[in-house]
Amino acid sequence: MDTPTRRATSSIDPALLASIVKGDQQAFSQLYDHSSTLLYTLAFRILGDREEADELLQDVYLEVWRKVARYDLGRGTPIAWLITLTRSRAIDRLRARAVRGQTATMPLDATVSSRVADLGPSPFETQADQELRIAVGNAITSLPAAQQQAIELAYYDGLSHNEIAAKLNQPLGTVKTRIKLGMSKLRETLRRCWEQGDLG
Amino acid sequence: MTHEELEEAVPLYAAGALDRVERQALEAHLLSGCQSCHSALKEYQSVASLLPFGLSPKQAPRALKSKIMAARNQDPMTVDGLLKDPGRRSLEPGEWMNHLFPPIAPARSLSLPWAIGVATVLLVSLGGYFAWTYTTRVSEDTLKIQQLEAALQDQSAKIANLKRDLGLRDRSMAELQVDVQRKMNDVIELKSQLMEREVELESTREQLTAVTRGKVPQDEFATLLRQPDAKVVTLAASDMAKGASGVLLYNPVTQKVWLYSANLPECPAGTAYQLWAIDQKPVSIGTFHIDAGEMAHLLVKRMPDFEKTRKFAVSLEPAGGRPQPSGPIYLAGQRAF
Repeated sequence: MDTPTRRATSSIDPALLASIVKGDQQAFSQLYDHSSTLLYTLAFRILGDREEADELLQDVYLEVWRKVARYDLGRGTPIAWLITLTRSRAIDRLRARAVRGQTATMPLDATVSSRVADLGPSPFETQADQELRIAVGNAITSLPAAQQQAIELAYYDGLSHNEIAAKLNQPLGTVKTRIKLGMSKLRETLRRCWEQGDLG
Repeated sequence: MTHEELEEAVPLYAAGALDRVERQALEAHLLSGCQSCHSALKEYQSVASLLPFGLSPKQAPRALKSKIMAARNQDPMTVDGLLKDPGRRSLEPGEWMNHLFPPIAPARSLSLPWAIGVATVLLVSLGGYFAWTYTTRVSEDTLKIQQLEAALQDQSAKIANLKRDLGLRDRSMAELQVDVQRKMNDVIELKSQLMEREVELESTREQLTAVTRGKVPQDEFATLLRQPDAKVVTLAASDMAKGASGVLLYNPVTQKVWLYSANLPECPAGTAYQLWAIDQKPVSIGTFHIDAGEMAHLLVKRMPDFEKTRKFAVSLEPAGGRPQPSGPIYLAGQRAF
């Protein structure tokens, strides 16, 4: 799956999904190769468990195989669609786990340091993906730690602002402001990425 | 929620941090067609989609791909069966995008024992189906009503904002009108002052003219006295005016004669003195009047033909003068050559 001709995850061709709609197994295989590392990384970040991340990825790709016809380019790039689907299903599992009384997520002090722990090159990504990872990583680390934490608790742990406020023992307004400011700054910093067509 | 509050909720929505009620309110607002919130949401969702790119990559197990490919090739019903019950579905960041992924219906498969019991449970199933349909419709209607209520609230907030803006504009318009009226009054006041100043200026001009008018003869007389070519003719008094005298000066540059008379008797009513230049025949130079108590008088007249004239005389004539002397002579003199 890791070949020199591998396409960047951030720029998966929508035509690939169109081929999958027609039952093209080769296209489905390519889609997996282009996206599985990122989706697995995301699933593991949310669930914190390899076995559960494996199961989640199976669910996601099978759902893509069955429902790929519902993909609409007007609503986002293929990878944005896959990320949204993966995150949503992972948060579902997280909540189901919470209902069962199991441990939810990583400890708080590990959340911020978990992302962008390694900015060095990875053998599983293209140069374009690596550059994007560094750009996003730098943008996130440039935020104040409190803003990073609030955004990650919402995005990766699926917590609402009320839940975050209770968890951090902070006023609700403070939490909202942290998320708004953080997202706003990321928007300004990363706008170049989607204007170049990487995502959006 | 006001539009400002909804707008501020967009980044929280994209990050997945909104509660269900807030999420629904924002979605209703988006459905109402707010372009600015749409654009902002698109960008914030792009930000959210970029976040996983910042994570340290972790490769999926190699066996996973073949597992997925194999599962995909199985009977679709079985494939569905592989999907675990997701429990409480998450629809953020936003049902907006996740409309693509409606909650997965639980997989259904009919086994033979179940098929045997179909006839007996048919009525119960139908009843359940209708109840479920009804409940679903009610839920959908409730959701629509909530969305409409949120949209209505949003529109009401917009109307309230517009009314407030209108009120502010009315107030500023009224202030402007008062200001304009004040300026108009100032202009009227200034015009009035200008007219007063013009009257004063006119008055000053008249005074200046009067002063100038009085000054000119004096200046001319001073010039005349310094003029070396000036001619002088002494006029002697006749018996009619004993004690009177007269001097006549002529300035060849200005061609004016100056008659200075002293001690002439007061003119009776309806009469005036008339100065005559006498060459072949008398020619009137001008008339003047001596009032009661007036001791001296200066008469200045233009006289181009002075050089031809030998004699000069002053007679008392009816007011306004006569073409030829008709009254008694009071002063008379002759030029010396």
